[in-house]
Amino acid sequence: MTVPALDALRSALPVSYVVLDADDRITHVSSPLHDDLGRWLGHVLWDHLPGAREVYGPAFALARASGEPVETIVFYSGRVKRLVVIPAEDGLAVHVERLAELDVTSLVTLRLSLERIERALAGRGSAQLDSRARASLQALP
Amino acid sequence: MLDEGDRIVEVGPGALGQFGPQVGSVVWDCYPGSKPLFKPYYDSARRTGDEIEFVQFYDGHVARVRAVPRENRHLELYWEHLAHLDTLTIGSFVDSLEQSLEVLEGASTENDRSELRKALRVIEGGSA
Repeated sequence: MTVPALDALRSALPVSYVVLDADDRITHVSSPLHDDLGRWLGHVLWDHLPGAREVYGPAFALARASGEPVETIVFYSGRVKRLVVIPAEDGLAVHVERLAELDVTSLVTLRLSLERIERALAGRGSAQLDSRARASLQALP
Repeated sequence: MLDEGDRIVEVGPGALGQFGPQVGSVVWDCYPGSKPLFKPYYDSARRTGDEIEFVQFYDGHVARVRAVPRENRHLELYWEHLAHLDTLTIGSFVDSLEQSLEVLEGASTENDRSELRKALRVIEGGSA
């Protein structure tokens, strides 16, 4: 168990998070996520999230390289999410908070959901944005 | 094939995978939010007795639909898939949205294009 990383996290993160090792293998899943992600324990995260490495990977790399927490906003699988990544000696703690999601039922719902995303991002002005999220900000202001 | 109450009563072999399990159900119950997008066209076909063809966006897909009136106010429906939204990443979403909107631009009604323009203004950073 990655106790130091978890100790660091408990004071800094919401209760829903996962811890990854240096190879992005899941080594811990917090209890609220057990039903959804518990079966992935021991698996490499990217094996279950197609296309996610290019979205989440840069924040992971930055946190590992700097040794500092990274907060960013990303778009993946139709959802805009706030990503908080905290490095520790024994792992990388990752928390993902859903901010808004696309509704592709019709052009009208799509437009309205884009507007909801715009409002969600407007309230998150302090978050650093990765390059993909910057692109998303241009696309989904 | 829909009956006069828009209940799915028959499915061709090419659509069995998607619609087969829904035989006996009202199509609007199976596809939430679809009624205002499709029913006006179906009503028109039944009212005039003429087949109607249109392009519609629903559930992330753009399809060309042909509705052919049959006896007893039944409707025979044919679908051709034209484009779909890929929402996996922002890049795939923007690219696929542009493709979908191009398809709709060439075939949609004025109402469709109006909604299209609103969506585009949001995507491009303006106000809706």
